[in-house]
Amino acid sequence: MRIRPIARGDLDELQALARETGVGFTSLPDNRDFLAAKIDSAIAAFEERQPANRRNYFFVLEEEASGRLAGCCAIEGEVGHEVPFYHYRVGTLAHSSAQLDLHRTIDTLFLCSDHTGDAEVASLFLRPEYRGGDRRQQRNGALLSMMRWLFMAEFRDRFPDKVLAEMRGVFNERGRSPFWDCLGANFFPMDFDEADRLTGLGQKSFIGELMPKYPIYTPFLSEAARACIGRVHEQTRPALAMLKQQGLRWEGYIDIFDGGPTVEAYIDDVRAVRRSRRCRIEVASGGDEAAERPRWLAATTRMANFRAAWVGRGPDEEGGIRLTPAEAACLEVATGDLLRVLDTEE
Amino acid sequence: MLVVRPVVPADLPALERLAGDAVPQLTNLPAHRDRLEERIVRSRQAFEAEVAFPGDEHYTFVLEDLERGEAVGTATIRAQAGAVDAYYTYRQETLIHASQQLNVRREVQTLALSHEVSEASLLCAYSLDPRYRGTSAESLLRRARLMFIAQYPERFASLLAMAFPGYLDEAGESPFWNSVGCHFFGRDYQEINALAGIRSKSFIAEVMPQFPLYLPLLTPRARAAIGREHPDHERALSEMLAEGFMRSRHVDIFDAGPVIKAERERLQSFRRAAWHPVRIRPAQALPDAAPAMVANQSLGGFRCVVARYALSPTGQLMLSPEHAERLGVGEGRAVLAAPLALPGLEDEEGGHEPGYDEGEL
Repeated sequence: MRIRPIARGDLDELQALARETGVGFTSLPDNRDFLAAKIDSAIAAFEERQPANRRNYFFVLEEEASGRLAGCCAIEGEVGHEVPFYHYRVGTLAHSSAQLDLHRTIDTLFLCSDHTGDAEVASLFLRPEYRGGDRRQQRNGALLSMMRWLFMAEFRDRFPDKVLAEMRGVFNERGRSPFWDCLGANFFPMDFDEADRLTGLGQKSFIGELMPKYPIYTPFLSEAARACIGRVHEQTRPALAMLKQQGLRWEGYIDIFDGGPTVEAYIDDVRAVRRSRRCRIEVASGGDEAAERPRWLAATTRMANFRAAWVGRGPDEEGGIRLTPAEAACLEVATGDLLRVLDTEE
Repeated sequence: MLVVRPVVPADLPALERLAGDAVPQLTNLPAHRDRLEERIVRSRQAFEAEVAFPGDEHYTFVLEDLERGEAVGTATIRAQAGAVDAYYTYRQETLIHASQQLNVRREVQTLALSHEVSEASLLCAYSLDPRYRGTSAESLLRRARLMFIAQYPERFASLLAMAFPGYLDEAGESPFWNSVGCHFFGRDYQEINALAGIRSKSFIAEVMPQFPLYLPLLTPRARAAIGREHPDHERALSEMLAEGFMRSRHVDIFDAGPVIKAERERLQSFRRAAWHPVRIRPAQALPDAAPAMVANQSLGGFRCVVARYALSPTGQLMLSPEHAERLGVGEGRAVLAAPLALPGLEDEEGGHEPGYDEGEL
């Protein structure tokens, strides 16, 4: 299994992926024209033909033998420039008066675009047959999630100070978002899926036009809706845990539709960014075999032909790294090339 | 006989009783002895002050039943609703949320805190002994204030406002408060109302949510209460609408009761009020005529009664010696009179026939 930039020939497979993602996955709508444009834009980004605010680095996880796509993920260079990027910021207002013996704090939701200009890790999706069960040992999800930190570490100057990740919010057993039903539904003449679909297509201007501009006092929301604030979908918990482990934190920003949390960090503070190291490659066969559970994550250092994969061992004492011929072929590197390596169990 | 006059210190026990009897309890008339004493002092200062333009004066009147020898009703005019503190209301606003992309246009209703009514003169703190309800005493007490304002226009704003108690359910709970204010204060309506009487209402308003509230997020019961008067005040509201007041976008911040407003020049009592020289005639010799409010021309000695609007062929108002004495006027002095009946109100269901009934039991 390896990561590579998306290519033109991936369109059919990408659309198949998009169909599998389902509700709440805004960035990958099942729309062929949209996906084709996304691929073109990504290719231009990897070829460094895009201005900073339009770089969308889109990666796929490929099963080399079959050429099948197992999943995808992306990094947005800078969000919010082309189309507005909205959040609610959960704030607190004190309602206090000593004379009235009143000391209350009221949570409020402020519509904001505070994250304009930040990078975003997004669109992570792993097909069900590549996760869980026998596949758990392959750590495909971790590969998709963490390779992005190596990419950002390697090409640090292409990214701004901060990075964020939007997490999918809570949906009830009937597939409805209590947060949307209580809040958004009052302001949007459409259901959640439709609003979500338009957002995914980048047609976000309606949000600004229809959303309440004044802060929302959360006591006016239903209990079910309040319970959604900053909470993630059951299936999103592992992804959130992985981001938290890297140092991303919830700072009180939530999705305006489903109330799911947005986690964030300064890129330089992200654990994997701080700890990954560049190593000189030596390709040699034989010796120790790779461990059962992948531990060492490796990424190449050229953007045009970027590759990332698990490798069997870490750097030696001199800062070199030995790859098997198969690993070198997978990453398309040779002896003497540089490799960025991260010990994911450190 | 009933007469409206400025409050005096001896009225304190009666005021206390009236404040306690008000339904619902009024924030601007708390049944609190110290506050009521202050109210009396403050009113005397207002009547005695030389005033060139409206300010922080509060003029408090009582309705005295001369047979009982006590005050059976009270009402106040605040020259400026918010002279020192701001006078807070919620203003109902409509925001248009339109999207060309989606080809939709939505109207979203909000309630925004407003100080706009602060400039108006406020008719407030009205309470009448329940035994006089449904009689002309009710109209006299409510509208005698207009007769006072008509005589001293420089003391009041050209815009008059009046806030009516809001809707309460059978349990005495305010659905609006329970859905709005309660979140911010954690106290029930009766508690906060009592507190507002002791502190000032604007004092509490400063702790109210400062951002506009979106109506779709309020409970349906709270929304239904917006601009709806307390059931006991329906008739009073109708009367003041017939007088020329208009419903406004403003509602009370606690219970969402309606605030009505009027340019005073448009009010029936202003437009129809006229000065007449007095001619004193024995009561039994007075011709039959429709009732009128009749007020004397005296600031501190203001008196207003209901009498027959009986004019002589030469335009003199014929008064009985008793009425003339109550008003403190002699033959030839001028009085201001305006018809008690209001056009359009008589036919209304529940409206009382204006007449000479003075609530004697």
